[in-house]
Amino acid sequence: MTPSQRTGGILAAPAATYMLLFFVVPAILLFSYSFWISSGFRIVPDFVLTNYISAIRSPLFLRVTYNAIVIGLVTASVTLCLSIPVGYYLTYVARSKIIFYLILVTWFSSYLVRIYAWRTLLGTNGLLNAVLLQLGIVDTPVQAFLFSPFAVAITLTHIYLPFAILMVVSAMSEIKAELIEASRDLGTSALGAFFRVVAPNAAQGLIGAFMLTFILVAGDYVTPQMVGGSSGQTTGLLIADQFRKTGNWPLGAAQAFLMFLVSLVIYALVLALGRLTGLIPARRKTKPAREVA
Amino acid sequence: MNNGTSAEAPLIELSNGQKQFGLFQALTNINLAINEGEIVTLLGPSGCGKTTLMRIIAGFETLTSGTLKIDGKDVASLPPEKRPVNMVFQRYALFPHLDVFDNVAYGLKVKGVEKEERRRRVQAMLRTVQMESLSHRFIGELSGGQCQRVALARALVNGPRVLLLDEPLAALDLKIRQHMLGEMKRIQLETGATFVYVTHDQDEAMILSDRVVLIDHGQIVQVDRPQDMYFRPRSLFAAKFLGETNLFEGKLTVSGIGQLSLETQDGPFEVVSNDAAVSGNDAAVMSVRPEAMSFRQSNAQLDYAVDAEIADVIFSGSRSFFHLVSLGGQKFRVQVQNMPGAALPVAGDKVHVSWRKDSATVLPLSRISS
Repeated sequence: MTPSQRTGGILAAPAATYMLLFFVVPAILLFSYSFWISSGFRIVPDFVLTNYISAIRSPLFLRVTYNAIVIGLVTASVTLCLSIPVGYYLTYVARSKIIFYLILVTWFSSYLVRIYAWRTLLGTNGLLNAVLLQLGIVDTPVQAFLFSPFAVAITLTHIYLPFAILMVVSAMSEIKAELIEASRDLGTSALGAFFRVVAPNAAQGLIGAFMLTFILVAGDYVTPQMVGGSSGQTTGLLIADQFRKTGNWPLGAAQAFLMFLVSLVIYALVLALGRLTGLIPARRKTKPAREVA
Repeated sequence: MNNGTSAEAPLIELSNGQKQFGLFQALTNINLAINEGEIVTLLGPSGCGKTTLMRIIAGFETLTSGTLKIDGKDVASLPPEKRPVNMVFQRYALFPHLDVFDNVAYGLKVKGVEKEERRRRVQAMLRTVQMESLSHRFIGELSGGQCQRVALARALVNGPRVLLLDEPLAALDLKIRQHMLGEMKRIQLETGATFVYVTHDQDEAMILSDRVVLIDHGQIVQVDRPQDMYFRPRSLFAAKFLGETNLFEGKLTVSGIGQLSLETQDGPFEVVSNDAAVSGNDAAVMSVRPEAMSFRQSNAQLDYAVDAEIADVIFSGSRSFFHLVSLGGQKFRVQVQNMPGAALPVAGDKVHVSWRKDSATVLPLSRISS
């Protein structure tokens, strides 16, 4: 071990230890719970797949998981699409940092307050309905805005957009403006330069922003409770109930790991889609040949 | 301004070009014509506007006023991708997600050149820049000189009418820089492209250029062949920026009919210059290159001369450099070609230094423009 490696190790140790104790260990415990059984009000160590089987046989679990996936994909897609132009603007066009700081400032408002704000906006006496009534587009207030998957998606887009923008900015700031100019110089429009140069080089960050939003949204159990109604419930709430109410930890653990699996599958699909469309560069085609310098 | 010999219309023509960034006047009254097949250098200190001028030609900046024609057509409304020019960026700006081959193929691919044709042209260009053996390397695996070659190939493969080069050698070390200069000249001859080369390095400019455009504070100071600009600078700025020079400062007085005399600390020099830029009662300097001076006996008809004392001698192989102080207190330098066995003065010697009248240039002291 070189001295710099040792220093690095010492500096990383507190965080690594913390994550080991409070993330890795609980995750392993949770994973083993998912094979235990719950009988009566006790959980008994075992090694059975009962929890997984009953989870995927449960229509409720399938329905809320379907909701979570759809709301997650829609929210993540919309959020990413909205954050890319903003990120592009902040990285390559804006001369001042004001808008960047304004985006950071949104974090000063509480998550719950923002959910309530959307309840107000989307409710039957809310702003959206008032505007639609005023314009004569609808005759009676639309009930369906609030307590729907739509309400969950729009609220979560609002909450995670600043997050996604920050990730997109950090991905794009690695890509020098000169590369875009080089692409323009070689014959692409600005949009062409985005797809041929910015997107492939920012691919990691863009996928990161998409997946982070997806995971946070699919796992969120507060927003669906507040604005989701019965049609907008997601897996998060179901899993939380297994731990809080029914006390069936093994089933909750199994459901949590199924959601984890879902995220992995989505990630793999996104990667495959990116490769297929050429937005993610294929890893090196050939091993670099040895060269005599 | 344009002393090209071509009878055809110039390939690039800038007329009355102005560029402002907010309140900052980056370029003032730019008139410049560049002919087909020329290597023209935009030379000047950093911040003088030379890069802005090149970016205007490339289409990354637009003129605030004035016109820019490429191949006889006004290109003001053309975005960079529609201009018949390609650029080599200062830090190469190669695409890190592509290998050498795909970097070079980029422009052809965008233009929809058919695959087989594309492969053929890319390989031919990689051969020209001697990078064919590394065509599957990624950019991160190349040295600076190799990146330079790829950047050249990526631009030239598109067959641009004009190749713009933005300080392309600035990031390379001295030895590779000198080698690449030769390479650049060879590639220019092979491809016949017009090169517009931006640099702050006067050596690069003189080695490479057919013509040098000297820029200072957003204005073109002088446009000339390197040898003319070196031996006949038209301003104090040009004299000081290109190579080394000795300056004898004084005041011009009328010493006879049509005769001017430069009164310096070392006595009067009769000025033979017919340069209209200087006239009586002007503060002026005589600029003379160190290598134009020698220790031989002067001829009053043909030479200027001063008496001086040698302060220091530096021997550097083929040449010796003498630091001198004239009797009038003027410091200056003399450069002498070394010959085996030649007896040269040493520090402390009193010497007579002379130079041919036609090797000196008398320039106005105050005004920068020519």
